[in-house]
Amino acid sequence: MKGLEELKDKIHEILPDLDLVIGWEQGYDGLHATPLFIKTPEDVDRLIIGPLCVHNLATYLPGLKDKKVGVIVKGCDSRAVIELLQEKLINKDNVVILGLTCDGVINLTKLGRKIGSLGAVDDVKVEGEKLNVVIGDQQHNIAFSEVKQDKCENCIYPNALVFDHFIGEPVDRVENVGAEHQSLSDFEGKSFDQRFAFWKHEMSRCIRCHACRNACPMCVCRDHCVAMTRNPHWLSQENNVAENWMFQMIHVMHLTGRCVECGECERACPMDIPLMLLRRQMNRGVREVFDYEAGIDAQNRPPLLTFKVEEDNISEREW
Amino acid sequence: MRIGVFICHCGSNIAGTVDCAKVADAAKAFPDVVHAEDTMYACSEPGQQGIIDAIHEKNLTGVVVASCTPRMHEPTFRRAVERAGLNKYMFEMANIREHVSWIGKDKELNTNKAIDLVMMAAEKLRHNAPLMAKKFDINKRVLIIGGGVAGIQAALDCAEGGLEVVLVEKTTSIGGKMAKLDKTFPTVDCSCCILGPKMVDVAQHPNITLYAHAEVEEVNGYIGNFEIRIKQKTTYVDWEKCTGCGLCMEKCPSKKSYDHFNNGVGTTTAINIPFPQAIPKKAKIDAEYCRMFTKGKCGVCAKVCPTGAISFEMTDTEVTENVGAIVAATGYDLFDHAKYPEYGAGKYPDVITSIQYERLMSASGPTSGHIKRPSDGKEPKNVVFIQCVGSRDKSVNRPYCSGFCCMYTAKQAILTKDHIPDSRSFVFYMDIRSPGKDYDEFVRRSIEQYDTQYIRGRVSLIYPQGDKMIVRGADTLAGAQVEVEADLVVLAVGAESAAGAPQLAEKLRISYDSYGFYMESHPKLKPVETNTAGVFLAGACQGPKDIPSSVGQGSAAAAKVLSLFSKDQLESDPQIALVNASRCIGCYKCVETCPFGAVKEEQDRFNNPKARVIETICQGCGVCTVTCPQSAIQLQHFTDNQILAEVKALCPSMMVKN
Repeated sequence: MKGLEELKDKIHEILPDLDLVIGWEQGYDGLHATPLFIKTPEDVDRLIIGPLCVHNLATYLPGLKDKKVGVIVKGCDSRAVIELLQEKLINKDNVVILGLTCDGVINLTKLGRKIGSLGAVDDVKVEGEKLNVVIGDQQHNIAFSEVKQDKCENCIYPNALVFDHFIGEPVDRVENVGAEHQSLSDFEGKSFDQRFAFWKHEMSRCIRCHACRNACPMCVCRDHCVAMTRNPHWLSQENNVAENWMFQMIHVMHLTGRCVECGECERACPMDIPLMLLRRQMNRGVREVFDYEAGIDAQNRPPLLTFKVEEDNISEREW
Repeated sequence: MRIGVFICHCGSNIAGTVDCAKVADAAKAFPDVVHAEDTMYACSEPGQQGIIDAIHEKNLTGVVVASCTPRMHEPTFRRAVERAGLNKYMFEMANIREHVSWIGKDKELNTNKAIDLVMMAAEKLRHNAPLMAKKFDINKRVLIIGGGVAGIQAALDCAEGGLEVVLVEKTTSIGGKMAKLDKTFPTVDCSCCILGPKMVDVAQHPNITLYAHAEVEEVNGYIGNFEIRIKQKTTYVDWEKCTGCGLCMEKCPSKKSYDHFNNGVGTTTAINIPFPQAIPKKAKIDAEYCRMFTKGKCGVCAKVCPTGAISFEMTDTEVTENVGAIVAATGYDLFDHAKYPEYGAGKYPDVITSIQYERLMSASGPTSGHIKRPSDGKEPKNVVFIQCVGSRDKSVNRPYCSGFCCMYTAKQAILTKDHIPDSRSFVFYMDIRSPGKDYDEFVRRSIEQYDTQYIRGRVSLIYPQGDKMIVRGADTLAGAQVEVEADLVVLAVGAESAAGAPQLAEKLRISYDSYGFYMESHPKLKPVETNTAGVFLAGACQGPKDIPSSVGQGSAAAAKVLSLFSKDQLESDPQIALVNASRCIGCYKCVETCPFGAVKEEQDRFNNPKARVIETICQGCGVCTVTCPQSAIQLQHFTDNQILAEVKALCPSMMVKN
């Protein structure tokens, strides 16, 4: 991500007309960024951009529907904004989009595996393809590509797809077009029993903390989530594989044709459950059946949010 | 809740392969079940009384009957429950006949499955709530689609019964196939002479609005209140002005146009009135052949038309009609014999179809009723008829019998002798099917008095030799190969569903079979009803039919409409979607997916966006309920909780608890 100064100038310019601008600032240590809600010109100084800025800030938009909001988005985040616009869950007149170009963001779990403890990181610097992690007087030099988020590996949308102001120069990722994520074929290489055992194990680890749901930009039901209600009573409070699995499947089904693969669910999961595997599989189905990708064009209708007597790719009749 | 369970034997239909007493015993252990018994015929008078008595004696608040399909007897049992003072939606039915006893022979497995289904029904019933129907007004107008003899009969009977009728006909004249026939069996009276007066009645009846050369584009609404979009296809002739004088036909220079009415026997002019008795008797330009459209200049008809009715700029228009009931009477089409290479695949001019032969024999036909064969116009002396062309033949996906071909072939053989006394007729047949009043006598007459030679066997090949056609086939009774020298071969082509029948069925939301014929609600007991309330069937669109049956069904459909309209109001089905406003987040996904436009965007008193279902428009299809992510919109009688209860009853958790 480049253009921090340009971005700050732009925010100073637009802030007077807005209630707030959402960006990132340095968190409680050198490793974590945290969302920043800019309301005054002084707040702008705290803004950062870079590989630590993992959060999809579009998640905040539906909750700020009545305010005039500026939002800073990476390519993947911008798809969530588009999807929210498609579903009329936000009003474009109330949103100013500041689009960035992105080289990938960090996966703390992967980094943790490299350096052991994540507890006392003082600073993280990007030096070309290297990531320099400073812990006290220790220095770790790690290839950035090894600790990027999974979604960054075959990213084809590094630039914001929708924006009012674009910061920096757009970059190209055409080499990734059409590539499916490695995890899909790896998973499919397993036998049915192995796959079943895999998910049974993963789902036994789910603690139903709902972090995946709360981080998801498309989970807009908030207090009315079907996972919490007793009427209809889809899920009990019991924590077991069946109920956990049901919850995760409900989340996936509700995202059918809507998921933009921003990966926030998996990033937010404290148990590191590979939730994106479910979403990638489902999105592949949507591509095959509906020839559709979510969050690309604000004018498109998500395939499951419309009614057609005859689907183009589902032949129910002979004519 | 206090649930009573009744397991029906249906004589031996269910009890033959299901241990009904054991199912009843098992049901006694289900939650809230306070009474369970098996009964010989639950639907019979004593069976229903048993249910009512049990409700009173045991203070039941809900009833499960395990018997046949709900399509058959759900209304029966709902009425019984209602008679006993319960709400009729406090009733559930488990289908242990079509879903169990009729499809499996293993008594133990069947009994277990029946127990599962009864448990599902009982679990659902525990989540049922009383529902109340509302009343709505009926629009007492009827749409009849198709102006063949069935549609004409239905239209006249409805109109005579005082209803306003909208009749939509695809071609430019009503009359259908019957108008093309020369004579009718078994009385050999002139087809057009008996149909003509009925056609005139349609034209003159003050209650009938006729849209000819029009098609139904879209059907919206529901029983009592349909909204129909009708496309009035362009004729390039202003029918308000056209008097049907026929001057344009005389002068039209494009005389080689395909003659649809005569099925390609002879040609017609690009502007034409299909036949002299046409109703309405109005001209239409066939743009495919009209020189004004193909070459860009001509306009002779416009010059000679005494009323200035011709308009080359005319385009399709649209009309909307509101009706309360619909009768589909779209008829049939004839099998295309080009699918049979052994009959020449349509290449030989002197191998024609039965309907073309009708036109050759008809006094109003292109040869003025003189039988002349197409190739050289000679009068044929040997005529060979081949039956079952596109009937009873799996190889062309037409395994069914078209029903009327045996009879019309006998008629055509008789008429051939009448027209050409020194001719001989040969009929290759599989079986003679003549099960109607005076029908078999008619076939015998053809054989005995008119000397028609019937040969039982299929034809393997037709080939030309000189100016004759050689018909080679088997005579299975003589056990020999035969060859007949024919001057003319007539193929008794079978009936198939009308072109576009499935597409119209989709618009009407009625079922159709794999051949495109419309499905009646019950093959014996509801032959003119469909599974869509307010839509009825008449004539051959439901299956091949001869004229008397089609007329009978036209009248039957009219009777159904008249009895429906004898009430001023109908009860609406309370099984519709409802929004729980306190759970609705106003995302309006339901508004987007509702196929009927029944969900509206609204604001509550705090200006929060909320969805609301318009009860009279909702059809209860449930698309919105699967769309709503937080399940705020629920289909009454099929709520998430009711379905989850059924699923949980059927599938106790397969996952190992951890």
